[in-house]
Amino acid sequence: MLAPLEHYLILSAVLFTLGVVGVVVRRNAIVVFLCIELMLNGANLAFIAHGSALDSLDGQLVVFFVMAVAAAEAAIGLAIVVLIYRNRESTDVDEMNLLKL
Amino acid sequence: MAGQLLFYLLALMTVGGAVAVVALPNPLYCVLSLVLTFLGLAGLYLSLNAQFVAVVQVIVYAGAIMMLFLFVVMLIDLRAEERGALRLPFQKLAGTIIALGVFAGLINLFVSTPLRTGAKGLFPPGRLAEIGTVQAVGKVLVTQYVLPFQAMGVLLFVGIVGAVVLAQRRTRQG
Repeated sequence: MLAPLEHYLILSAVLFTLGVVGVVVRRNAIVVFLCIELMLNGANLAFIAHGSALDSLDGQLVVFFVMAVAAAEAAIGLAIVVLIYRNRESTDVDEMNLLKL
Repeated sequence: MAGQLLFYLLALMTVGGAVAVVALPNPLYCVLSLVLTFLGLAGLYLSLNAQFVAVVQVIVYAGAIMMLFLFVVMLIDLRAEERGALRLPFQKLAGTIIALGVFAGLINLFVSTPLRTGAKGLFPPGRLAEIGTVQAVGKVLVTQYVLPFQAMGVLLFVGIVGAVVLAQRRTRQG
């Protein structure tokens, strides 16, 4: 570890917080997805930092599974975004306020 | 000393990319900034003895998932976000305050409670060279974590089927 564990955890918290800001503030659905991925990566960094500090491999295994879940979620979520765009000609999350077009 | 400097450089790259994702108006630039963030994170994982995860991060996250995002950004005709009125008043300010609350909670958790109280794992500093290698991860993945591994297979299969079903065009009846 290049720096004390707390430095890595603070970086992880910063990444997560930036993801939260992005999800709340941005209106484009694709950028909201990007910020969700950013939050997942913040959590991944916390897992691996703790795993390295505790001499354990469990943190890396959990990150492996988180990445697989993120890949499946990104694929389905983007397919949904493309379909919504085809119907409504817009990716603005503020305009997606009806369940049925 | 060089170690700490390297950490700060990687952290700067990561946080810079993350700030750009949130701040830039053009979604294409946001996707590319996130790729930069992922590369910085891969470097940080390397510094934490997670070689396999670092390579998987570059291949899967920066390589495959971001390429998927790029395809979608190219398929959809995107203008830069309109500067119209936001739905809620003071949305940006409220969002930032909520995020600062989240940040304060996380920092409180990380800095005040005693860390490293979990059970120590099997890789004391004597075996540090083995911890992040493909052999070590693979061995644990098919022995101790075999059930989550199989569940991941099912999840990815469901993802594939779902994506194919969603992508089909409805043929008109009659």
